[in-house]
Amino acid sequence: MQLLRTLLVCLLLLVPLPALAYDILVLQSLREKGYDEAVRGVKRETSATMRTLVLSDYAETDITRIIREEHPRLVIAVGDRALDVAERLRNTPVLYMMALHAKPHGKGLITGVGMLFDPARYLAVFDSLGSKRVGVICDPARSGSYLKRAQVAARRSGIDLVVREVHSPKETLSALDSLRGKVDALWMLPDVTAVSPETTEAYFLFSQGERVPLVSFAELYLSMGGAVALGIDRFDIGKQLGALAQSVLDGTPVENLSVQPPRRVMLKVNEGVLRRLKISIAGGG
Amino acid sequence: MARSLLKPRLIKNFRFRLYLIFTATIALLTAAFASFYVVTEVNGFRSTLEREGRLLATVLAQNARLPLFAENGEALALLAAGTARYPSVLSVSIRNAEGRVLTEVRNPKYTGSGAIDMKVEVTSPGLISSPEEVLLGHAPVDEKRVIGRVDLRLDTSGAQERLKRLVAATLAIGTLFWIVVSLLSYQILKRVTSSFNLLMHGIEEIGSGNLSARVNLDSDDELGRGANAINAMAASLELRELENLSLQEELLNAMKLEVQEEKKRVMARLIHTNKMTSLGLLLSSMAHEINNPNASIRFSGHIIAKIWADVVPLLDGVWREEGEFYLGGIPFQKARGALAENAAKIVENSERIARVVQGLRDYGVGDGARLRPDLELNGAVAAALSVLACQMQQDVSLKTALGSDIPVITGNQHQIEQVLINLILNAMQSFPEGRGEVLLTTRHDRAASEVVVEVEDDGVGICAETMERLFEPFFSTKLDRGGSGLGLYISQYIVAEHGGRLQLTSSPGRGTLARVILPVRGCAPEGEGAAT
Repeated sequence: MQLLRTLLVCLLLLVPLPALAYDILVLQSLREKGYDEAVRGVKRETSATMRTLVLSDYAETDITRIIREEHPRLVIAVGDRALDVAERLRNTPVLYMMALHAKPHGKGLITGVGMLFDPARYLAVFDSLGSKRVGVICDPARSGSYLKRAQVAARRSGIDLVVREVHSPKETLSALDSLRGKVDALWMLPDVTAVSPETTEAYFLFSQGERVPLVSFAELYLSMGGAVALGIDRFDIGKQLGALAQSVLDGTPVENLSVQPPRRVMLKVNEGVLRRLKISIAGGG
Repeated sequence: MARSLLKPRLIKNFRFRLYLIFTATIALLTAAFASFYVVTEVNGFRSTLEREGRLLATVLAQNARLPLFAENGEALALLAAGTARYPSVLSVSIRNAEGRVLTEVRNPKYTGSGAIDMKVEVTSPGLISSPEEVLLGHAPVDEKRVIGRVDLRLDTSGAQERLKRLVAATLAIGTLFWIVVSLLSYQILKRVTSSFNLLMHGIEEIGSGNLSARVNLDSDDELGRGANAINAMAASLELRELENLSLQEELLNAMKLEVQEEKKRVMARLIHTNKMTSLGLLLSSMAHEINNPNASIRFSGHIIAKIWADVVPLLDGVWREEGEFYLGGIPFQKARGALAENAAKIVENSERIARVVQGLRDYGVGDGARLRPDLELNGAVAAALSVLACQMQQDVSLKTALGSDIPVITGNQHQIEQVLINLILNAMQSFPEGRGEVLLTTRHDRAASEVVVEVEDDGVGICAETMERLFEPFFSTKLDRGGSGLGLYISQYIVAEHGGRLQLTSSPGRGTLARVILPVRGCAPEGEGAAT
């Protein structure tokens, strides 16, 4: 009897083993439409087997135990929370995407596709709008490194970035006030300190009051008065990360792979705003 | 006094009542409309004020959203001052989410007569997401977060002033409207009720008895038709009245004739009664005048008989001695018997005359209401028959069957005789051709202790209608033959006074039976009945 029970337990333990044999573990922060879209892009790009865990369905300890027990060859973190969990892994390479607060240069076995376009993309838009003085409001703690890259690129493009640093959302209004009469365009960065739900409106009021175009990071803002939006393609980000994952699985060391900006830009223009501002984009939109 | 009379007249006046109802209704409606208008206007003004205040507060809250978030006191003060410049705004204050006042502006013109407090929350804009959510493709959620509050106090003294003006104007217009409409309604009522008054006047005139009066209303509406109907009714009543007057006159004349006839009949009866009274007196006088010579005759008869009785032996001796001789031309032997016989006849007829005279005297004078305890019924019958002896007709046969065992009764002989004479006369007058038979019977009903006298005839009898009225006073079928209509009435009265009954049984064409039943007082002697 004792023998029979032992055999039964062993059999039950062996049953899930074939299902756990996969290459990529996808850690998804939430069941979120945007995340799902990116994951579909990953699956489109790689033929590796993968398992997806949604963090909101598990406790953090369970996630760690699963990774330790299942030994995936690669972990793809989708979203900031998933990245936080994946960053604790020591020996497993991690690729991330859709993480707004990720360190731009990566660290150790971590790399991925960021959420921000190359600053040159934005500067090209400003250049096409004919704007030479571009106002930027950002929190250095969040967007400091990106701002440095942008300033370098701006100098190359001959555009003067008028930067106002803020450390809390309340400072955004005074920062905007300080930009009055000093800029030809306003650049809205996806900085949660500089752009909060309470202060978003102020950007558009500034744009309307100062009659300067506002270039934002999402098409949504065009309906609120933005002039140009450089939106991301979440599916394409997934495909971009899938290609990275495939190369890692193919043997490329993660350390050799740098963090990549999104490769596809979805440029949208609010023709009505541009018309009122009497501005046109050189080379079409 | 005049006022006290005028008041009920006015209250009962249809036109006044209608006018009162009209004016009261118009006053009520005017007051209701005026009140409704004032209330609606006041509510509307208050609503407008509140809407204006809410709009101001909302605009202020909208404008103050960003300065409030940034806690920019200067910008908030400017906004509050701008709002406070509106004339109806008394004070403006802006508070943050914790309730701390960031700026406040008060208008010194506030008089304290009334104010509306308006509180509007300042919220973060909805439908705006954070950058992270926008990048993830979240749909904007209309989720507003309260970041502060705008307090606005509005002055309502203007509303009160406006309310006063509105009430005054409404009262003035309402009163004017009421007066105008009341005057108009009076004129309309006057026109409408003039026909009614004419109708009422005509009806009252007709109702007071003047049936020749008419309602002079010339219209084809309901009142006109009513007036025509009343006129027709009055005409009909007038005609009936005339007919009634004519009938009354005829009736009066007929009654006069009837009264005259009745008077004649009564007078005839009175004359008859007076005649009877005179006849009684005459009879009494006659009896006295006849009785004296009659007594002398009877006495003379007796004397003659006595003398003749004494003379006859002497004359017999003469006859024997001398032979036949004549007395008064008659041979003695014939005269001897004839004289005695004639003397006896003188006495007998004299006595008969005396009885007849006594009977007439008793009937005519009577013996009053005296009751005799030893009244013999057969004696009364004989007395009655002796009174009626001269009335007996040749063709009427009167038979008597008097009982011999009739006991004496207590009664008035004269009255009983009168009853019997009435019944016998009625029986004798019942023959249309004056020929018939009357049977008079007396008997004693021992079982009932009564004595009975029956007068039966085989005359024409009495019809049922007459039978019902036989005992009515002055009812007679023989008034034209001297009847008084009192015979049976008095007879029934007399019999009833004696404690008896008078019964009449008749079959038309077969005769009548009159039965007098009288109670017996005391014992009657036994005896056989005899028929005559």
